[in-house]
Order: sequence, then C-alpha cells, then structure tokens
Amino acid sequence: MMVSDIVQEGGGAVPPSPPILRLKGIEITFGSNQALRGVDLDIRAGECLGLIGDNAAGKSTLSKVMSGTYVPDAGMIELDGRPVRFATPAQARDLQIEMVYQDLSLCDHIDVVGNLFLGRELKRGPFLDQPRMLQEAEAMLAALEIRIPRLTAKVEKLSGGQRQAIAIARAASFQPKVLLMDEPTSALAVAEVEAVLELINRVKARGVAVVLVTHRMQDLFRVCDRIAVMYEGTKVAERRTEDTNLQELVDLIVGKGGH
Amino acid sequence: MVTYTERQAGSKLADFVADHAQVLSIALFFIACLIFFGSTTSTFLMPGNLLNVLRQAAPILVVAVAMTLVITTAGIDLSVGSMVALINALAALTMAAGLGWVLTVPLMLIAGALIGAVQGWFISYQKIPAFIVTLAGLSILRGAALYLTEGYSIPIRDAAGFFWLGRGTFAGVPVPALISILVAMLGFVVMARTQYGRQVIAVGSNMEAARRVGMPAKRVLASVYVVSGVASALAAILIAARLGSGSSNAAQGFELQVIAAVVLGGTSLMGGKASMLGTVLGTMTIAVIGNGLILMHISPFFTQIVTGTIILIAIWMNTRLFDRPWKLRRKSAS
Repeated sequence: MMVSDIVQEGGGAVPPSPPILRLKGIEITFGSNQALRGVDLDIRAGECLGLIGDNAAGKSTLSKVMSGTYVPDAGMIELDGRPVRFATPAQARDLQIEMVYQDLSLCDHIDVVGNLFLGRELKRGPFLDQPRMLQEAEAMLAALEIRIPRLTAKVEKLSGGQRQAIAIARAASFQPKVLLMDEPTSALAVAEVEAVLELINRVKARGVAVVLVTHRMQDLFRVCDRIAVMYEGTKVAERRTEDTNLQELVDLIVGKGGH
Repeated sequence: MVTYTERQAGSKLADFVADHAQVLSIALFFIACLIFFGSTTSTFLMPGNLLNVLRQAAPILVVAVAMTLVITTAGIDLSVGSMVALINALAALTMAAGLGWVLTVPLMLIAGALIGAVQGWFISYQKIPAFIVTLAGLSILRGAALYLTEGYSIPIRDAAGFFWLGRGTFAGVPVPALISILVAMLGFVVMARTQYGRQVIAVGSNMEAARRVGMPAKRVLASVYVVSGVASALAAILIAARLGSGSSNAAQGFELQVIAAVVLGGTSLMGGKASMLGTVLGTMTIAVIGNGLILMHISPFFTQIVTGTIILIAIWMNTRLFDRPWKLRRKSAS
C-alpha cells in the first residue's frame, strides 16, 4: 500500500488520517448547467461523511463522480494517494468503491440472491453455483441483520424497505473501501431507518469510508463524523459533527451562512 | 407486557404457483387443445401424426428459443423469416455450386451469425430501435434472397446426409424434432443456469443496473441477435433439408408464428420476464392447433383466422386472469 506523500495541513487537536479518497477541483458541466464548480473533498477510512445541500446543489452529482457514473470535465481523484480515473461504475467497483443508488439499481425479475450477486455471480464450471450463492446470501443478510422471508422470491414482490435493504447489503457485503449512499433511508419505515443507521455504524467500524447523501438531518447526527454542505455546485462549508448544530446546517444549506 | 409474534411463512405451493402462473396456464391450455383434437378427430393422437407435428414445429421451436432471449432483452427480431429464406436459398446455391453439405452447413451458420451481428450492432451500439433495424432486415434479407435466386426454387441434389437432417429418423423420432429438442434444452440450461442467461435477463430487466454492476450490457444486447441469426440459419437448413430445395419464398409469416409462440409462453414483451419452458409449450400449442384444424377438415383459409383468434384469447387470459390469480384466491380464503 502506498502512503500519501501530500502533507496534511489539518493542524487540529487530532491530526486526521490520510484520506482514502481525495477529490481536487472537480468540475462538471451538463449543457449550460455548471453542476459542479471546483469541489475539493477528502474522505477518510472509518469515517462517515455527510453530504447535504438543497435540491440541485450537486450532492448527487458529486457522489456519482465518485462512483464512476459521471466523468468530471476537470479535477483529480486520488485513491490511497494515487491518481485514478474511472470511466464506468464497473471500474470504480473494481477499486472497491461501491454505491447504493437512489433508484436502487435492482433487477425486478431476478430473485434476491441473484440481485445480491448481480455482476459477481459465483460459478461452478460453466454454471451458476446457486446453492452456494443462496448460502452466502443468507450469511450476508444475517450479518447485517436484514430479514427477508424468501430469498428465491423475485425482487418485484418485495416492499420498498426490503428492496432498499437488499441494495445496501449488495454494496456493503463485498469489502468496499468506500461506500457511497445516495438517500439510503428515504423510502424506509422507522425500524428500517434504525437498521440502516446501525448498519452504517457497523460498516464504519470495519474501517470503511462511508459517504452519506441525505435530506434527513436527524440521521446526520446519528452516524456522521463530518458534514459537507453543497450550495450551487460548490462545497460551501465543512464541519465536524460535534462542532455544529441543526440550525447552523440549515442556514448553510439555504445560503444564510454568512460567506 | 407487549408480546411480539412473527408472520408465518406462506405455503411453498402457493409460492410455486405464483412464480410459475403463466407457464401453468399455457400448459393447461396445451393439454386442453390435445384433449379437444384427440376427441374430435380419430387421427390426431396417432403416433405418426404426433411425430409429424414435432417435425413441422422443429424450425419454429429452434428460432423461438433464440427469440425468447431477444424478447427477454425487451427487443424483437422481425427479420427471422427473411433470414430463413435467405440462408435457405444460399445453402441451395452453395451446394449447387459444388460445395459439399458438410462444409455448407457450418458456413451457413456463420453467415447467420454475421447478419445477426450487423443487426445487433445497429441496435446495441447505435441505439436504433430493434423494431426498426429488424424491419429493415426483414425487407433487405428477403430482397437479397429473391435477387440471388431470381425467384426460382433451387433444387438440392445428391446430398443424402443433408436430407437426413430434414427427413430422417433416429430411434423412431424425426431428426429435426430431435435437433429442436436439443436446442430447447440448451436454451433452458443457458437461461436458467449460466451467467450469460443471467446477464440477458438483467439487461432486459434493468439495463442501467446491469451496466452499473459491470456487466457488458451492450455486448450482451448485441449478442442475442447473433444467437437469433444462428438459430434462423439452423431452421433454414432444416427446412431446406426437408424440402430438398432452397427458395426465396420459404418461411412466409414465420416471424409472426415465432413471436406468437414466445409471447404465448409467457415471455414479456417489456423484457426481463422469460420462460423457456413456456416457449416450448407455446410453440407446440400453435403447431397442434394448425395440425388439428387441418385434421378436422376446416378450410385452410379459416385456419389462419382461428389460429390468430386463439392466440389473442390465450394471451388475453394470460395477462388478465393468470397474472394475479393469487390475490383472488387469497381474498376468498381469508
């Protein structure tokens, strides 16, 4: 593993660990719309970063840049201190950057097991090893305390919360270094939100860097260590969770931050 | 004190029926057709007639298996009938030019694959709707067949081994029927048990999700048209071997029979939902109806009307009734 040779200018009480994923000057334009205007962001192992902002502030776009869905027009991405470029989500996935998409990206006509192993099917000879995938899927869901009655049911038969749980389990179960989550709790019921937040803490404890894009402010204070606020395609502020409060964040989001 | 109890898991049988409702319904319809024609005609259930049905259904079954893959990706291949005509004519011309049938057969399969690859490239990499590309293919390929043969039927001579493919029997079963059963079994295994089959379903179910998880989505989408080209070439060879000639007029309306068989079997035109077993049953149902109506001495002009009507009614029942039977049952049970 390469150690980052970039000097940290942190200077706080606790010197921050070198970032696992570092974005520098990310710009992206769609037509006439400047979606991102030079965003810098550090993401550290074992830490949860909350990404907040109003609609169209650029938080989803930024998470999609990190997951390889969008290729930025300018700027640099470093993983473990090495500059990387990914043109597709598959390349980001190969570098252990996983994403839970807001639309979940599940195949409705494939069963739960098949969706968990989508694109990573286990094979025995030329055939799918369905018994082993079923066995491992049960273990995966049990480790995250997700309960699905029948793993051979098609995903279209499941509830919104169950579908979301499967999308999260898929991203969290294959040893990611960075786990990006775009609104993972938006469609969930109370108990399911609790489960997801607990899950984020558990994934964090394993040393994974988690990025949480959300509208739900109460979730931020439960799991995030740092919070970055997006406004009109720029990152306007970054706060440690213990140094801020709900009112300050709301002011920053709506543009009353006093910049 | 609050006590929590958990829901009981539903019965395995109900799950099974709900998962396979469409295949079960077409199976029932198929059995009903067998009983109907068996009781109204004296010859329908004779082994000779049933083997004849199998022999005649063989080319449709071979292409329907490939068409199941195409329709699973939410695509369509309208060019299969014209492809059969072109390969059929090409095979006869090649053999008339002196090339042995042993070389001609693989050459024709490659030709089918190449034509399929061109269509697949336009559909997948150039994003032209499959309906348009294969509609153009339908016209171009039939035209090419007419141009090459100038409209004449080209006889195939002195190729006993080739004719065996279309007319021979093996252990009492017609060879084309055996070939089509092998193709159907291969299709079933590929669809249900291999990574390629999983990729085809994923691309049809959610193309963007398939791309995001790293599946070669575009290549998979193009590949199903190659499969359909190869299957059409195989069907063309079976037809040429049975008739002993190659003609640009072969397989008129073939694509409609194939598509009807696949849709009758429960494969959704919207993509993602596929049933290979349903395709086999759908093909056999169409073949049995065609054969049974002839045995009942119904006017051949009337046969087309009846076949079309039955397909419409069967698919209507499939979508309106059998898509959600368990909600009805559950309501009455509770």
